[in-house]
Amino acid sequence: MERENRFWRAILLALPLAVFAAFVIWPLASSFYYSFTDWNGFDPDYDYVGFDNFAKIYTDKLFLNAAVNTALWIAAAIAVPTACGLALALLIDSRIPGGPVFKSIFYLPICLSAVVVGQIWIWIYQPDWGLLNTVVEAVSGERFNYAWLAKPDSALWSVILAWSWQQTGLSMVIFLAGLTTIPEELLEVCEIEGARALQRIRLVVIPLLAPATVVVIALNIINSLKGFDILYTMTGGGPFNSSDTLAMHMYNESFKKYLMGYGSAISVVLFLIALTIIRLYFRQLRKVDELHG
Amino acid sequence: MADMAAVPEARRRFSPWPAVGFIVLAVLAVLFLAPTAGVLLSSIKTTRDIALGALWTVPSELYWGNFAEVLGNPAVHRYFANTLLVTAPATAVSIALGSLAGYVFAKLPFRGSNLLFLVVVSGMFFPPQAILIPLFRLFNAVDLIDTLYPIVIIHIAMGIPICTLLMRNFFAAVPTALREAAILEGANEWQVLTRVALPLSLPALAVLAVLQFTWIWNDFLWPLIFTQSDEKRTIMLGIVNLKGQYSVAWGVQGSLSLIASLPTLVVFLFFQRYFIKGMTMGAVKG
Repeated sequence: MERENRFWRAILLALPLAVFAAFVIWPLASSFYYSFTDWNGFDPDYDYVGFDNFAKIYTDKLFLNAAVNTALWIAAAIAVPTACGLALALLIDSRIPGGPVFKSIFYLPICLSAVVVGQIWIWIYQPDWGLLNTVVEAVSGERFNYAWLAKPDSALWSVILAWSWQQTGLSMVIFLAGLTTIPEELLEVCEIEGARALQRIRLVVIPLLAPATVVVIALNIINSLKGFDILYTMTGGGPFNSSDTLAMHMYNESFKKYLMGYGSAISVVLFLIALTIIRLYFRQLRKVDELHG
Repeated sequence: MADMAAVPEARRRFSPWPAVGFIVLAVLAVLFLAPTAGVLLSSIKTTRDIALGALWTVPSELYWGNFAEVLGNPAVHRYFANTLLVTAPATAVSIALGSLAGYVFAKLPFRGSNLLFLVVVSGMFFPPQAILIPLFRLFNAVDLIDTLYPIVIIHIAMGIPICTLLMRNFFAAVPTALREAAILEGANEWQVLTRVALPLSLPALAVLAVLQFTWIWNDFLWPLIFTQSDEKRTIMLGIVNLKGQYSVAWGVQGSLSLIASLPTLVVFLFFQRYFIKGMTMGAVKG
C-alpha cells in the first residue's frame, strides 16, 4: 500500500512541481545569482562583480527616491484600503437593506485590470475636464486646471488613491467573511448587557477581527509591492521620477538601461521585503483557515 | 456563501439606524461608481463634447462612433485573439496541474509535504519582478521572445500556487471513506482523482476558472516584457499602445477600455459568488 502511495505521489506531483520549480523557483534563485553580475541583457557573457550592485543601491539617488515612495505606498496600503474596507464591511453587515447590491458595487473594481483602473482615474485627474477639477471649479467658481498626474507633488498620491479604490473591495470581502465568524450569542449578550452599537464594534467586533485584519494588511502590502501596471499606465513613474517605486525602478534599470545585474539586485530587495510579509501572513494563515474552512 | 446568506436576525439588529446607514452607503456607492461613470460616459460622447467640458453630464443623444472605431480596428481584433490564445490554455493547464498537486497534498500526505505545500503556496505572493530577469534570459536564449509561449508558460507556473491551494482545500473536504471504498473496489489513485474527487469539486474548478481567467486576461507585465511587435500584443498592452494613436480621441479610449474589460465584467456579473469565494478562501490574491 505504502509503495503504491509513493508511486502515485511521484506521478501526480512530478509535472506541477517541475513546472513550478523551473519557472518560479529557479528564476527566483537565479535573480539572486545575477544580482552579483553585470549582465547587460544582450551578451551571453557577464562578469561576477561581487556586492557592487548592492553597494550601488546606497549611492543611487533614484533608488532612494523609489524606496521612499514604496514606503509611502506601503503606509497608505496599510491604512487606506484597510480602514475603508472595514468601514464598508461593518456598514454592509449591519441591518441595512440592499447589502448584497452594495457589496457588489464596492467589489466590482477588483475584476478590472490595473490598466483600465488607471484609465478610469486619468479621467478623474484630467486637468481640463476631469471630474476632480470640474468639482473644484463648481465649488470655488474659479477656473482650475491643476494637472494632478503631471506635477511631482501630487503624482504619486494620485496613483495611490486610484490603487486604493480598487483595493478597498478586496479588503471589504475579507472583513465580511471575518464578520460571519463572530458568534451571534456574543453580540446578543453585549446587547443585553446594554453595550451600544459603537461600543460593541470597538470592544468586541474589531478585536475579534484581528486575524482578518492581519490578512488584509499583509495582502495590501504585497499588492502595493506589485503595483506596477497602474503606475505604468498613469504616470510611468514620472514626472521626473517623482512617482517611481522599486518595481518601476527595477523595470527602468533592467529594460530601459539594460543594467540587468543591477535590476536583479533591486528585485532581490523587493523579494526580501515581500518575504517578510509572506512570513507574517503564513503565521496567521492557520487562523484564517479556521475562519473560512 | 451559504453561511453568509443565513446571517440570522440577531446580527441584523447590529445597527440601530438602518435608514441612516442606507443613505451613507448609497452616497458612498455613488462616489465609488463615479470614476467608472466617466469612462462609460466618454465612450458615448464625441471628442468635441468632452473637450468642451461636457463629459460629466448625462448625454442628450448617444454617439456610437467610438465603439464603431474600436470594433472596426483590426488591431483590436488581433489583441483579443492573442489574449484568448494566452488566457484559455493558461487557465486550463494551471487548474489541471493544481488539481494533481492538490490531490496529493490533501489525500496522500507524506513527511515534509506540509512544508512543500507552504513553499508552493507562497509563490502566490512573489513579486513578479523577482523572477523577471532570469525568465527573460531563458526565453531569449531559446528564441521565444515576441511569441505568446513565454506568457502562457509563466501564467501556468504562477497559477500553480493558487490552484494547488484551492484544490487541496476542496479535496480535503472529500470524505476519505469515499476514496478508501473506491480503492477497495480496485480503483487506483488516478481513478479516484478523476472519477470521485474531481466531480465532487466542480465548484472549486469554477472558482479557479473565474479567478485565473480574470487575472490572466487583465495581465500587463508579462506581455510587456515578452512581446515586441504589434502582432503579438495582448489587449491590455494594446490599450496602452493605442492611447498614442488616439491621443486626444478620449471617447475612443473610453470605449476601448470598456470593450477590453467586457469579458471579465461579464464573468464577474454572472459568477460573482465564485469570485468572492475564491478570494476569501485564504486564497487571496489581487
